Order: sequence, then C-alpha cells, then structure tokens
Amino acid sequence: MSRRKPAEWPMVALLLPVFAIILGPFLWLVTSSLKTEAEIGRGDPFALPKQLMWQNYADAWNIGGFGSLIGNSLINVAGVVVLTLIVCAPAGYALAKIRFAGREWTFYAFIFGLTIPIQAIIIPLYQVLFNLGLINSMAGVVLAQVANGIPFGLFLMRSFFLGVPNELSEAARIDGANHFQILTRVFLPLSQPAISALLIISALSTWNDFFLPLVVLISPGNQTLPLGLVRFASTYSTDFRLVFSGTVITFLPVIILYILTQRRFTEGLTQGALKG
Amino acid sequence: MLRRTLMASAVALAAAGLLAVPTLAEAQTLTVWATDQLADPLVAEVWNKLKADFEAANPGVTVEYMPPTGTISNGAVQAAIQSDAGPDVLLTNSGIGRVTTVVNAKLIAPLTAHYADMGWKDKIFPWLYEILGSQFGGEIYEVPDGIDAIGLWYHKDLFAENGWTIGGSWADFEALLQKIKDKGLEPLAVGPRNNANGGHLMGNFLQAAAGTTVMGEVVTAKKSWSDAEPLLGAQRVVDFAKKGYVSAQMAGLDLEAATRLWTNKRAAIFFGGPWFINNARKNEYPIDNMGFATIPSDLAGESKPTGGIGWSWMIPVSSKQPELAAKWIDYILSDEVMRFRAEHKTGTQISPRAMPELKPAVPVMAEVFAAAANGVGFNPSVYMPGAALDTYFQVIQGLIGGQVSAEDGMAQIQAKIPAL
Amino acid sequence: MTRLTTTADPADLRAPAATRRRRADGARDGFGAAFVLMLPAIALYALFSLTPILLTIWISFTNSGGFNTEANFVGFDNYLRATEDPIIWPSLGRTFLWLFYHVVLAGGLGLALALAIGRLSRTRVFFRTAFFLPHLVSLAVVGVIWANIYDPFYGLINTALTQWGLAGWAKGWLSDPLLVLFSVNVASSWQGFGLYMLLFIAGLQNIDGTLYEAAEIDGANALQKLWNVTLPGLSEVMTFVLSLAMINGLKGFATVFVMTNGGPFYASEIITTYIYRLAFQAQDHGLAAVLCILMSVLAITITVAFNRWRARKSS
Repeated sequence: MSRRKPAEWPMVALLLPVFAIILGPFLWLVTSSLKTEAEIGRGDPFALPKQLMWQNYADAWNIGGFGSLIGNSLINVAGVVVLTLIVCAPAGYALAKIRFAGREWTFYAFIFGLTIPIQAIIIPLYQVLFNLGLINSMAGVVLAQVANGIPFGLFLMRSFFLGVPNELSEAARIDGANHFQILTRVFLPLSQPAISALLIISALSTWNDFFLPLVVLISPGNQTLPLGLVRFASTYSTDFRLVFSGTVITFLPVIILYILTQRRFTEGLTQGALKG
Repeated sequence: MLRRTLMASAVALAAAGLLAVPTLAEAQTLTVWATDQLADPLVAEVWNKLKADFEAANPGVTVEYMPPTGTISNGAVQAAIQSDAGPDVLLTNSGIGRVTTVVNAKLIAPLTAHYADMGWKDKIFPWLYEILGSQFGGEIYEVPDGIDAIGLWYHKDLFAENGWTIGGSWADFEALLQKIKDKGLEPLAVGPRNNANGGHLMGNFLQAAAGTTVMGEVVTAKKSWSDAEPLLGAQRVVDFAKKGYVSAQMAGLDLEAATRLWTNKRAAIFFGGPWFINNARKNEYPIDNMGFATIPSDLAGESKPTGGIGWSWMIPVSSKQPELAAKWIDYILSDEVMRFRAEHKTGTQISPRAMPELKPAVPVMAEVFAAAANGVGFNPSVYMPGAALDTYFQVIQGLIGGQVSAEDGMAQIQAKIPAL
Repeated sequence: MTRLTTTADPADLRAPAATRRRRADGARDGFGAAFVLMLPAIALYALFSLTPILLTIWISFTNSGGFNTEANFVGFDNYLRATEDPIIWPSLGRTFLWLFYHVVLAGGLGLALALAIGRLSRTRVFFRTAFFLPHLVSLAVVGVIWANIYDPFYGLINTALTQWGLAGWAKGWLSDPLLVLFSVNVASSWQGFGLYMLLFIAGLQNIDGTLYEAAEIDGANALQKLWNVTLPGLSEVMTFVLSLAMINGLKGFATVFVMTNGGPFYASEIITTYIYRLAFQAQDHGLAAVLCILMSVLAITITVAFNRWRARKSS
C-alpha cells in the first residue's frame, strides 16, 4: 500500500468531535467516580468534584471485597480461555479440514447455539448444573460459559483453518502425521492471530459476564467482579460513588489488556473472522 | 501387656473424643442472608452489633453475613437456597406473590410451630398474625421484620415559607399541587421505572380513593380492580398527569432519579416509606427538614399510610442450622433488638408489634409512628400475586405517561388476577 | 495479507485430480477422526446448550411454576395462550425494530468510522484503539451510564441542550413511548459498534491497493473510488458484520433490562425482556418457554434465509 495519502489533518479534525462524543461517557464516569454521594445526588453532570474522592476507590475495594473477586474473575477467565481453545481448535479443524458425512449439518447444529440468548434457557440450564452438583462452583460457571462460547469460537477457528492452504496438511500427511499432530504442529503455530482474537473475545465476555455467575455463584467467596457491583445497590438505594468507582476498577484491567494486545487482536480478526 | 495398654489408651482416647463432641458441636456457623445495605457504614454498624451480641449470647456460634445477590423476584434467593452454600436464615423482600413462589418450590420451611412454641404469635401485631395465618391454609412461612408506612414526604421549610399545607380533602390536595406547580416546581416526584416506587404512589392514591376495607378486598381478589373505588384512584393518577402534577417524563425515572429531584428541592412531594430518610441522608439533605404526612382522603378516617409485610425472615429447607436460625429470628424479635434497631439512626421501619415509648434517633420517625398508629392501609405491591404484579407496575407507568386509560389499565390488572 | 475467500472451502471447488486420492484418504479416517477431535465440543455443547433447549421444549407443554414445582402436562395450552397474549406480538415487532436499529446504528457507525480511520496513517492506531473502548464495557454498566446520560432532569443530554438554549429539544428519552426503544438502542449500539468497526478496518486492509491506482488512472474522484472500489471490496465483510449484528441484535437484553425493564408500559418490551419477566416475576415458565421456542425458530429462520441469500449472491 504505497499510495500517496492526502493530508491527514482534515480527517482528524472531523474525527475529534466524534471522539469527544464517543468517549464522553467515560469522562463522565471517571469524574462521577471521584465525587461524593451528595455531589452525585446534586445531579449536575458538568460539575467537577470539589475534592477528588480517591477514598471511593478504597471503599469500593474494601466494601465490595474486590480483592477476592478479582482473584475469582482471573481464575474464571483463565479457565474459560484455556478450555475454549482446547475445545474449539480441534473441532474447528475437524469441521474445516476433515471430510465426513454430515459435516455441514454438524456445523449448522453448532451455529444454532449462537442464536440462543442465555436468559432464555437459564432455568433449565440451572437444573442441569444442579443435577451435576455444579451450583456454586467455578467449574460450573466455566463449563457453561465455554459451552455458550463454543458456537462463536468454533465459527472463528473453522473460518481461519479454511483459509490455510490444503497443501500444508497434505505434506504433513505424506510424512505420516495424524490429524492431531497436523493440528498441533502445523495449524496451531500458524493460527496465532486467530487464537489471540478468540482468546481476547472470550476473555472479554467472561470478564464482563453478569447473568450466569449471578445465578450460579452463591457464596460471596466464590463470586466474580461484576457481582461485586451488585453489593452497592440495595432495594431502595444505590451507592453510586461505589458503583462508579467499582466500575472503573473492573474496567481497568480490560483496557490494559486490550491496549497491550490491540495490534494482535485486530490482526486476528482480519485473518480469522473474515474468512467466514 | 502392651496390647492392653494400647487398648486402654484407645478407650481413653475414645472417651476423650466423646467428651469433646459436645464442645465441638457448639462451634457452629450461622450464615445469614441479611440486609442488602451492608455497603452503608451506618447500616453495617447496626448489623455488626447484632452479630456481636448474638455471638456473645451463644458461645461457640459465629454469625456470617452473606451479601444478597438479589431477591425472590430475580431468582437469586431460589438459586441460593437450592445450592449447598445457601444461607441458614434469610431476610428478603416478601409479599404474598414472592413468598408463594418459594413456598410452591418447597424451598422454605413452615414456621407455624415456632409461632406457638417460641411465642412469636404474641410478638407481632394480632392483625399481622391474622393475615399471615390466612395465606397458606394456616401454615406460616415467614416472620415479618417490620412494616412499611408509605406516605408523602415534603420539605418543611418550603411549605412554611409558602404557607402550604397538605390539607384534609382531595380538593385541598389538588389546590396545593396547583400552587406548587405555579411556583415552577415539580409537584410530585416518582420513579416507577424499575422498582416499586410507582407502586408506592399508586398504593397511596388507591388508599385515598377506596379506603382500607375496599382495598383489602381488592388485594385478596374479593373485589375487582375495575370497580368504581379503585378505578377512581387510577383515574386520579391520569388526571394528575394531565394537569402536570406528575410530569410524564417521570415514567422513565427510577427511584434514585426521583429522589434526586426531591432532595434538590426541584420536586415538592415524594411518596415513600421511612426508608426514604436514608436516601435523603445519602444526598446530604437536612433530615430535620423532612416532613411526613398521609395522603388526604375524602373518606373519613382513611387518610392513612399504606404498607404491609414487605420484608420477612424465612428459614430455607436447606438450612444447616434450622434451630439456630429460629433462635436468631427469636433474637431479632426480642425487645432489646427491636428497640435498638428502631432507635438507631438508620431505624426506618415500623416494628411488627407495638413498641411503647420508643425514642427514635431521627425525630421525623415520631411523625411516622404517629401516622401509623391507626394502622396502615394496603400497599398492593406486597399483596399481589406475581403474575399480576408485573402488569401492575407497567400499568402505573402507562397511567403516568398517558399511554393507557384508567379503565383499560385496571382491566389489564384484573385480567392477571387468578380466579379464587 | 491473505485474500478473503467465500464460505465454501476453496479446495472443494478446485484441485480436481489430487482430490480423488484425498477423498479416499478422508473416507478412511474421516468420521472417526473428526468425531474424536470434536468430542469435547460436542459433549459440552450437548450438555449445557442442547439439553436446556430440549428441556425448554418440554416445559412449554407444562404449567411449570419454576424450580422444584409440580408441573403437569397441559398440551398446547401455553401455545394457545401465546396467541392470545396482548404483549407478545407487539414485542415481537419491537424486537425486529430493535434489530433494525442495531444493524443501522452500530453497523453504520462501524462502517463510517472504519472508512474515516482507514485513510489515516499516523493517528490510525490511536483512533482505532479509542473507538473500540466502549466495546470493553459490560452491557449492564452501559445501562447504568446511559440511564444517567438520558435522565430528563439531570442527564448530560438535556442539561447540555438547556445550557445551549435548546431546551425545546430536551426530551424524555426513556419515557417517550416513541423514543425509548431508539434511545436504549443508541446505548447498546455505542457498546456494540467497535467490533464491527474493527472488522471493517480489517476488510479495508484486504482490498488490493492496485485497484485504487487503476481507478485513479481512470480519473475517478474520491466518491467514485468509494462506490466502485471500496464498497464492493467490503461486501464480504459486510455480510459477515450483518449476520453478526443480526445475532447480537436479536439477543439484545441487558441494556433494555437495566435501563427500562421493558417500560414505560411495555414501550420498550422486546421478546427477551418479556421472557425474563414471565419466568422470574410472573413464574409463568410455560409461556416463557413458548416464547423461547418462538425466538429460536425466528433466529434459525433468519440465519438460514440470510445464508441462502448470501450463497446466491456470491455464486
């Protein structure tokens, strides 16, 4: 792409107001998170906090018990990410590169799950988890989240593998490798971008997942970050200063993760998702 | 010989073990799903003292609070009870609709026996006991933690400056709201969006229009929502919306957004229970300026706050400590605890039995007690079956927002009331 | 950069001679090997996705009152009730409207910003990263933030409008029955557009640069290049984004649930919020199950129809 580019600044000037509008809510959130409850209650969205209430962050951390929540969330994300990869990569490979009767239909059966919102099946899902003794266990949440993410993960991996030339696997087969070996030695090393896209997308949705942990994780010691935010809201009143600062706390690790990996993520989407 | 010694020591060990058993058994943990306001340091103060005192009175017992993740309405209580890690005793939003849900699911234990053997029958108002006894064919599954008293909150200074009074008749009330509107204020603030606050306003309007007896029949399905008396209450909401006494934009507010309007004095009147004092305190509103009044009614003696059993203690069937749980409830019902909670700064509910000579920390609570002294009317939100409650809340929004007529709205609620 | 390919495995269409050997090869270990590799996925998916779906079908024929309650078989009773329910059909209509808003707002914004950013060089990564940030926020939090932005008395929008002397434009964003679904969708699309934008950016990178050069030699202006080169080059991504946006749109729940809970007076009720309240508040699990099935059928129909259309288009 060596085309001569026009000057950049007119477009930047055009984008700045858009930038302000799109990121405005963040500015509002961070400002509000540094106000006292009474200042928030005064309801002037443009007023600055009189005094920066960093205390809100300490309070949210302590009252919400964020220390253990963050640990649980990390375990949750790690479990889902690893398992998603272990489950989706081989299946994606099978659906892309192995020929068998009913391949198309198997794929569609998986894709079907993409269209079912979890809220619609939560009660029977709870029953299944209950019968397996998985209520109030992180394992239960992880398994259900992985299952819920299978359609998309499989879709992504299959799309990527479809784009890998068959000659590569042919060569490996002639060398006597079986499918599992081809997958781990040839395909996986090639698919870093797709894998990182899959990892980031599943990490993100797990980190932010509220509904399933709400129903499954009962003991405070087992809960994840989004459930901590619930602790600041009671039937008749909400501690907004804690909700806002807690939200920022929840949000920071994700932003950092994203900024660190954004180049890979975009590449992964480019090469992974787009071949569907 | 050696063998004998060994045997002897084994016996001795076993005996020691046996002796140790009772001591061990006393090291118990009682998991309590209690208030959802532990994030509030003042509230936490109350509950930490309750915990400390209970532990002191019951050596070996540790009380652990479990932060509630929700209510019966969103399935959180059911999920918690079904899990192995559920609470041993729980305090949650009750009301017949919600309690029916957990009773039908066989998730909570009947407490009827304790009403007799622990004397709880005499620890709550007789009328409360009567209501509870009539709901599940004689079985009682809950112990009321307190009663709500929903009325209207006003700004004392604002009303004094302008010479406003709530008045005794509906016409007086309308005239007052018109004066407030002329002054450029929002006469009534309400946040019906996603919690019960719409029901607080509606319940008061129904009480004023229909009175306690009629509303008692309506909420127990002996009388239709479409009958003239309740219909009048709904019609008044519609009329008030039309006259701008309740702004249509309120239909999109939640309780907090409505609270803000009131604590910033942009709105003059808010319908709520004494818990509203805590909301106001959070916004640093001067509590001394809060005035409480009952909604005017043209029916003699019917200007009353509304309420009902909105918060109850229950013992899950999965409780690992059912007896200790009953002991906890008994402790909560004790004079000492009731007085302590009522006289604390956060004491914002009416005890479930007559408590003479209470000295509430917040003076306005005395006004609330006085208003409720003649009994409270029905807040339909806590008496309606679940299927109808959802429609009820939506219809209230529709009445305020001008989306549905009083007749249609009430007919829609009535259609969801299961036939008796 | 690899070129975009169509859904079908390109090797299926080409390579006639070599395939025969591979076919024979595939036939020998095909199903067995594939099954072993798919086993973890099949097991998890069957247990935690398909079983609940099957149970839902069973529940739709009962009068279940939820967890642990006695449920009796009631035949097609719930289905009959569904046809008579006054809320279902309007909320089905609103679900489609919601879907349409999401595709247009989130998809449109994603495309517009991708086109704008795609031309940048030094500031591209900056804008790309910044504009993706809303996508990192959980939908429940998005609901809380935007409910405050929309507050008619104290919200960012109405306060700003009033301060700029445009008080007449201030609206009850969440109370006006004609506006509310749109308002909530804006919040949801604010969270959702980032992924679509990245996909479009990726698609732009895959367009062959020589096509632009050729167009320039032909004397095409910027608009003509957009119309004749860029947009056709993006058609593959567009169909992908469209299908993703439709699925996401159909699943819309959290923002509506947090911001309006379907109100005021059902004005923002979509199928998913109604299902949730039927099940959890009204304890009417039978009717809720019927709606789940209705939604699944809808989702499958849309997906299959879309794929057919897409296949016909690309052939």
